[in-house]
Amino acid sequence: MSAGTIFDINEFAIYDGPGIRQTVFLKGCPLRCSWCHNPEGQNPSPELMINKASCISCGHCKKVCNNESCIACGKCVSYCPLNLRKICGELLTAKELAEYIRDKSDYYANYGGGVTFTGGEPLMQPQFLAETLSLLPDIHTAIETSGYADNKIFNSIIQLIDYVIMDIKLVDSSLHLKYTGAENKIILENLASLCSSNKKFVVRIPVIPGVNDNKTEYSAVAELVKDAPLLERVELLPYHKTAGAKYEMINRKYTPMFDVNRPVFIDQEVFSQYGIRSVVL
Amino acid sequence: MRKRIKDLRKFFVYDKAHHSCRQKPCDPMLLASEFQRNNTSDTDRAVVRLKYTLDNEKPVVFRNEKIALMRTIPNPPELFTEEEMEAIKTSHRIHERGEVCNINVDYSMLLDMGFNAKRREISESIKKFQGCNDAASVHYLEQLISILDSVETLAKRYRIEAEKVGNMVVAENFAHIPENPPATFLQALQMLRLLHFTMWCGNNYHNTLGRFDQYMYKYLKNDMDKGLLDYDDALELVEEFFLSLNRDSDLYPGMQQGDNGQSLVLGGLNEDGSDSYNVLSEICLKASLELKLIDPKINLRVSKNTPIERYILGSQLTKQGLGFPQYSNDDVVIDGLIRLGYDKKDAYNYVVAACWEFIIPGRGMDIPNIDALSFVKAVQDATFEKLGHSRNFEEFLSFVKENIRKQADEICENTKNLYIFPSPFISLMMEGCVENAKDISIGNRYNNYGIHGTGISTAVDSLASIKKYVFETGEISAETIIKALKNNFNDYEQIRNKLRYEAPKFGNDDDYVDSIAVSLLDSFAESLHNRKNERNGIFRPGTGSAMYYIWHSKKTPATPDGRDSGEEFAANYSPSMFARLKGPISIIKSFTKPDLKKVINGGPLTLELHDTVFRTPEAVSKVAMLVKSFIDLGGHQLQLNSVNRDTLLDAQKNPEKYRNLIVRVWGWSGYFVELSKEYQDHIIKRAELSI
Ligand code: SF4
Ligand code: SF4
Repeated sequence: MSAGTIFDINEFAIYDGPGIRQTVFLKGCPLRCSWCHNPEGQNPSPELMINKASCISCGHCKKVCNNESCIACGKCVSYCPLNLRKICGELLTAKELAEYIRDKSDYYANYGGGVTFTGGEPLMQPQFLAETLSLLPDIHTAIETSGYADNKIFNSIIQLIDYVIMDIKLVDSSLHLKYTGAENKIILENLASLCSSNKKFVVRIPVIPGVNDNKTEYSAVAELVKDAPLLERVELLPYHKTAGAKYEMINRKYTPMFDVNRPVFIDQEVFSQYGIRSVVL
Repeated sequence: MRKRIKDLRKFFVYDKAHHSCRQKPCDPMLLASEFQRNNTSDTDRAVVRLKYTLDNEKPVVFRNEKIALMRTIPNPPELFTEEEMEAIKTSHRIHERGEVCNINVDYSMLLDMGFNAKRREISESIKKFQGCNDAASVHYLEQLISILDSVETLAKRYRIEAEKVGNMVVAENFAHIPENPPATFLQALQMLRLLHFTMWCGNNYHNTLGRFDQYMYKYLKNDMDKGLLDYDDALELVEEFFLSLNRDSDLYPGMQQGDNGQSLVLGGLNEDGSDSYNVLSEICLKASLELKLIDPKINLRVSKNTPIERYILGSQLTKQGLGFPQYSNDDVVIDGLIRLGYDKKDAYNYVVAACWEFIIPGRGMDIPNIDALSFVKAVQDATFEKLGHSRNFEEFLSFVKENIRKQADEICENTKNLYIFPSPFISLMMEGCVENAKDISIGNRYNNYGIHGTGISTAVDSLASIKKYVFETGEISAETIIKALKNNFNDYEQIRNKLRYEAPKFGNDDDYVDSIAVSLLDSFAESLHNRKNERNGIFRPGTGSAMYYIWHSKKTPATPDGRDSGEEFAANYSPSMFARLKGPISIIKSFTKPDLKKVINGGPLTLELHDTVFRTPEAVSKVAMLVKSFIDLGGHQLQLNSVNRDTLLDAQKNPEKYRNLIVRVWGWSGYFVELSKEYQDHIIKRAELSI
């Protein structure tokens, strides 16, 4: 039985697939998008997370720690009177995760939903994910993925899934490298196989001011998916300034490479010209 | 929304321009000293006071309104001098202000009849009592007629004023009503406004509106059938009526601005299982959606067969941040009321009182908020007195239950010698009052008392901590926990944090804890079962808290759930404020486990949803599904808020920018910036829990 690391499970997810869903966040991501709003999902290992905004500097946490730099041992967590510290990331087996999901799966099924795996990048833990999925054959499953994974892995997981939410950040490959730290070749290949697969899917574009909010990028995406028979729609997710909120919590600085204050340019026209349904989330 | 309504909303609500027409406040003791000197009877005082207020009202008619009436006298005078009040209080229990309040009159008893016919009915009754030489009853009934006279005179003065300012619509309406029953929907609205207005003039408060979509429907239908009104015209009139409820509301007594009890109930099952929701119900929802005002507060009666579209409309309203609609589940409430002894017919006709209590229109003189039991105190006392000697958790729990029973004894005993001021005008709209010449204040068909229960989640969580750490793992000894609580956790910080953040909590869909809630609520119900009050009514247990939760929590020391001394309980039937929970679905699953039919006085589960969950129409329909799931699982009453903590914090800092920001407080909605800091802070804290 394989084990994996998750950093959250949410109830009542309403933007991540059909119906009311629970979402499982798998920890670890190969990309480093400049606009990432879940930075705690990037590092595959558990790490300490502190809600510094509410800290009253009582010093209780410092008293119990003997380590120069944090090793995420978790000792200080229970000393905070405000419960501001937690170890983000929990190791559990596929069976444990599947049982947890199953506990309320009837509820979600009643309201047209199921479970969505997201992250981080869920495809970074393929074996854990595949095993979990194999234990949930009767539950509606979805995945939200960056598509940055080996083509074989991508295809085999997609086969186990009912519904795919595929992020497309940038079609321009050099800009993709610049803003996410990785090339998009493999992503576009996976998108192509998704387009010709037998899975219902949506394409989600995080709309980042001055980065991809232009007609060229929108039409490039439309061009790539225009012939996919099972594409449900394109979802535009406008950047929001609160994206930076969690960096401080994991002791990192938020240094976006774009102007966060610039209003985003939304253009749904481009998609309708291609006959593609689009929605702004 | 039509321009005329927009203009009226700006005039009355945003600019409050009509306030300049108000008279100076009168001396509250204006009448009372003379009453005392003449030893006037209480009923006569109430009649004189009401007539005084009506007679001194100054008619004000605006050009572009179709439904007139505004208060110019800010404060109706008192009935008793301070000295008399002191004396009354030494020998009687006085509920709140002593006035009849928080009931739902049957407006149709005057509306459908008109005053002329009502006068004839009263005269018949007078003859009957003359026949048996019952002078007191005759006098009472004559007083009722004199009130009708005063209301008619006021209506006549309004007609004259309307003619003077050239508002012929208002003038014509007052030429017809209230002597005659309304001929049109507009006249019915004007007459309802007049009746409601008169209740407030008599110092009655928490005057609920009840099943507006039922008792007003025939007037609307008639006009629509005749082609006098179309849907949009009707919407405009309903909007104007709703606006009228916001004209004088700052004068209404309540705990805070907004706590005025103008609740309105839509839809509901008929006895034959059919659905009473009609076009007027929908118009009301739309009107509320367009107006975005705190009054009236909308309650939606639903059941397992309610179509999802209605929940979607409701969720669109929730999205506005008004804190309503509040949903009540007919499948649970009606059965619960029948079990308490309400007639089937009446149970099906239930409405919601000022906040959330279930009451019966026209037949109930229930006092659904007469007192509150503190679940936390029951646990607290047991912890200090019995924990050290309890052999196991079950034994300890039985001590807690015994404490619940003891509190119930005390509460019931304390309700005795109740005295309520007479309310002759209200009596005209309550069953049997005219026939029997009996004032409503003495009682009616139903005279039940409702008892709230505060701090349920704090109590449940405390018991779960004790069960786990004292009796199961043995990690914390009884002695240690008692010492820690007595010291308010000073020097016991680690224990506090464990209890507070690691212990099992009510609201996580965990049977270990939830079963304790089931058992505490059952025990509350049992402790009141089969008791009678002095009015021959019963006691009804409920899951509401009203403001009792603030009073109770302030004087409660630290608790075994890790709550610090004095820290607030959650309001109503809701999870603890600091419990870290998995989400709304677990909360709903936990909170629908108890048998809520047994505790049906009323009191909602409250969920705070972050305003981002309403971003798209699809998302709103998923919120609707969440609501439906609560009803499907057997929940009794639900209230949702759409909140954003950042907005609230900004509003606290810059109130001038947020004059119209509306929030739900407990049973009612109010303007955030008009609340006292204490309530603002509570709401901000609640918003932190949003999902
Ligand atoms: S988790 Fe806390 S105690 Fe452990 S190393 Fe990090 S700071 Fe120190
Ligand atoms: S214990 Fe908590 S509140 Fe105190 S300094 Fe550490 S993080 Fe801040």
